[in-house]
Amino acid sequence: MKKTIQSIVILVIISTGFVACTKSDSTTVMPVTAVTVKDIPADTVVGLSAQGIPITNGKYTFYSFEKNAIVPNTDSASTKWDIAFMATKIITNSGTSGTGLGGAFIYTGLFDALTTIPTDSVFKTDNAPTSYAITTGSGKGWYNYDGLTNIITPLAGRVLVIRTASGKYAKMEITSYYKGGVTLSATASDADKLNKQRYYTFRFAYQPNGTKTF
Amino acid sequence: MKKWLIFILISPVGLLAQAGLKRDSLLMQGDTVVVTANRSERKLGNITVPITIVNAKLIQQSGSLRLTDILKEQPGLNMTSGFGAGVQLQGLNPDYTIILINGEPLVGRTAGVLDLNRIALGNIKKIEIVKGPSSSLYGSEAMAGVINIITESDANIPLQASLRYGTYETFDASLNNAIATKSVFYQGFYNYYSTNGYSIRPNSNSRVTTPIGRYTLNQQLKYKLTENTNIAIGLRLTDEKVTNDISVSNGGNTINSTGKEHNTDQNINVYLNHRFNNSLKTSFRTYYTNYNAKQDLNTISGVPYYDLLNHLFKRVENQTDWNVNKQVNLIFGAGSVWEGVKSTRYDSEKVRKNNITQYAFTQVEWNPLQKLILIGGIRYDKNESFASAFSPKLSTLIKISQQQKIKFSIGQGFKAPDFRQMYLDFTNAAAGGYSVFGTAQAQQVIGQLSSLGQIGTLYDSYYQLKTLKPEYSTGMHLSWEYEPSLNSFLSVQLFRNDISNLIQVQQVGAYVSGAQIFSYLNVGRAFTQGIELEIKQKLSSSFTVSSAYQYLETGDKDQIAQIKAGKVYTRDANGYSKLLALSDYVGLPNNNKHKAQLKINYYAKHGFFANFRMLYRSAWAVNNTNGNEVYDKGDEFAKGYISLHTSLGKDYQNGFSWQAGCDNISNYIDPANLPNLPGRTFYATIKYQIFHKQ
Repeated sequence: MKKTIQSIVILVIISTGFVACTKSDSTTVMPVTAVTVKDIPADTVVGLSAQGIPITNGKYTFYSFEKNAIVPNTDSASTKWDIAFMATKIITNSGTSGTGLGGAFIYTGLFDALTTIPTDSVFKTDNAPTSYAITTGSGKGWYNYDGLTNIITPLAGRVLVIRTASGKYAKMEITSYYKGGVTLSATASDADKLNKQRYYTFRFAYQPNGTKTF
Repeated sequence: MKKWLIFILISPVGLLAQAGLKRDSLLMQGDTVVVTANRSERKLGNITVPITIVNAKLIQQSGSLRLTDILKEQPGLNMTSGFGAGVQLQGLNPDYTIILINGEPLVGRTAGVLDLNRIALGNIKKIEIVKGPSSSLYGSEAMAGVINIITESDANIPLQASLRYGTYETFDASLNNAIATKSVFYQGFYNYYSTNGYSIRPNSNSRVTTPIGRYTLNQQLKYKLTENTNIAIGLRLTDEKVTNDISVSNGGNTINSTGKEHNTDQNINVYLNHRFNNSLKTSFRTYYTNYNAKQDLNTISGVPYYDLLNHLFKRVENQTDWNVNKQVNLIFGAGSVWEGVKSTRYDSEKVRKNNITQYAFTQVEWNPLQKLILIGGIRYDKNESFASAFSPKLSTLIKISQQQKIKFSIGQGFKAPDFRQMYLDFTNAAAGGYSVFGTAQAQQVIGQLSSLGQIGTLYDSYYQLKTLKPEYSTGMHLSWEYEPSLNSFLSVQLFRNDISNLIQVQQVGAYVSGAQIFSYLNVGRAFTQGIELEIKQKLSSSFTVSSAYQYLETGDKDQIAQIKAGKVYTRDANGYSKLLALSDYVGLPNNNKHKAQLKINYYAKHGFFANFRMLYRSAWAVNNTNGNEVYDKGDEFAKGYISLHTSLGKDYQNGFSWQAGCDNISNYIDPANLPNLPGRTFYATIKYQIFHKQ
């Protein structure tokens, strides 16, 4: 009995040492912290037409994970941005959308549990208008649309794994599509449903060292 | 006269089955005749399945005008809103309960819901509610149970006129009369109901209940051709005109529409009944019904909106009741249904979609001991458009003692796919351009759209589309009834329903524009289970208290499997995802766990009565807000509530009576989730029997 405990203790020490070794092998271990970003507008409604149809500018909002900031539209043709939002559509700086090394895939699971991007993961790139790295459509990508209440709800347990324009990695979880990060009630007023929509709240973790671990 | 009445009322079979309770007990009178449970007249004391009987007196004293009003006060039933007022029975949606008038089905459902406000109650003798799959006798739709509305069929009713007026300019006028002579029975009933509707949503011109004017005409004639043969003709017409002023929300923007809606419902039946001898009788029945709903609206932008639904249903049927010997009763029958629907929501409103169903059924009732009844039945429905269905059922009644009974039943029910699920061809231009196509043509229509380059993506589900199969349920009911004295009644009932092959709307693809395309697939598996308790106690000669409670659990079996497999997520207080625990799963939407009611009735000797009714419904999930496709504790719920109702009145010796009441005394409203519950309403009724015999 005592022997068994001893050997377990030894085993634990050895394995801990092993883990420690592998860790010290990688040169720069930056602690990656999750950052929460609130109310990123994504082509919000600016008015109503004479027929009562909502009017928007039809423009993307570009975002850089490295800078943790919105990138001006004038830089849309650059590699300064990683992802961009327009209504429910999210594009990556890849394929038909941009000149960067971007890409993405949707991971089903928990944000915190995704510590390493699985080696067999396939990053998709944008191929407008038929397919996007972040799949469009209700229930297919990151959100669900309820046709009865007209409410968009981010799907729980979805992590968007992004390859940035410069080929680094980030993970993000969208928590709300409405201003203030609120959850709209089915009975919310039409005005609220119209004007509070198209504001993203999400958290993300960006790994600047180019590895696939967070 | 008497003899003829007996022929109509009590079958020879029923007379022989008198072994049961003869006592005139509290509210469950053992001698009350029930027709729905066995498709043949039986005494309540010998019924083997769970049944609730609501008699005319209760309907009248509750101040109920429409079928909805009285059903919502019954144990185990919930009213739903959306596409009219439907009834949910033991947790199963309105689609799964068949609604009969004198044994003949009503048609004209919208999205599976039959609007029970269509049915006036002024000439109703009683309502029989059978819980549990009853397809072995009634075929499709009798999956959760059967609600049979029975009008007077034998007794004289002195000509009576009643007038009622109440809140929201609700007006109701009725004329009712029945004459029974030696060879003729006639009943005539006329009703006019109108309401100015109401809006419980602040700052909205859209009324939840729109202004309605409804006529109901009901005529019945029975004529005795010979001593043993009679012919019966029934006619029922309802005609309702609805003034619409509705708001449709389009991408958050509101469009007003005004116009008229005109709905008519015609029911005609002709029966020929013959009795060969004391133990054998047969009945030929033909039934025709036609429901027509027409909506003609003008939107504020001048674009007209026209919607038509026409449902025609014709049936020929024969049923024979044979009392083989003292222990064995047999019923058997066969029939054929021709059904057709045309609608603007199908590919062409001019072309009627048809379906023919042929069926045969039999039921054996075996009474081996005085204390034991065993019933076995089976029905076969052969359907032209869908798979055929076998519906077996077994039930038993054990009379443990004079005071105690045990009932057990197990049966299979089914619901054939409806016309909408096969033929719908609907694109909602107002709400983002999504489309729903019925399975009969989804692949063809989508194929055409695809060749026009309009289809963006097709999902796996598109390739799984095929001819729909009926939905099935297996139901089990076990109940114990206890009557310790003539003044007390107690019953406990356990139930479980397992449903498979559920037909659900599924997205099968998307247009190039991204708008969704839906169709129907047999995909779901679900269950409902629970307990029903009922207690009735006569406190004194004038006070009676009755109460009921239902505990209900529901669930989607596939979702539960997913949750158990750790594949379903929900969100925590920060909005971050976490795994959903099974204990946080709440089951099917619009189902509340607890429902309770308490009723106190007071009767005085000189014709005065008063009652007080309290109904409670616990919270129910209404909207999925936390990003999974299951309903859990983190979703949006409608609040539980209590509604209080009272009514009092007096019947005078000279044929005059009055009644006044108040519904929803505490003025509880929830415009979003309970659009059918207006705020506090008052009403007053006067009634006069013109040829009243003292």
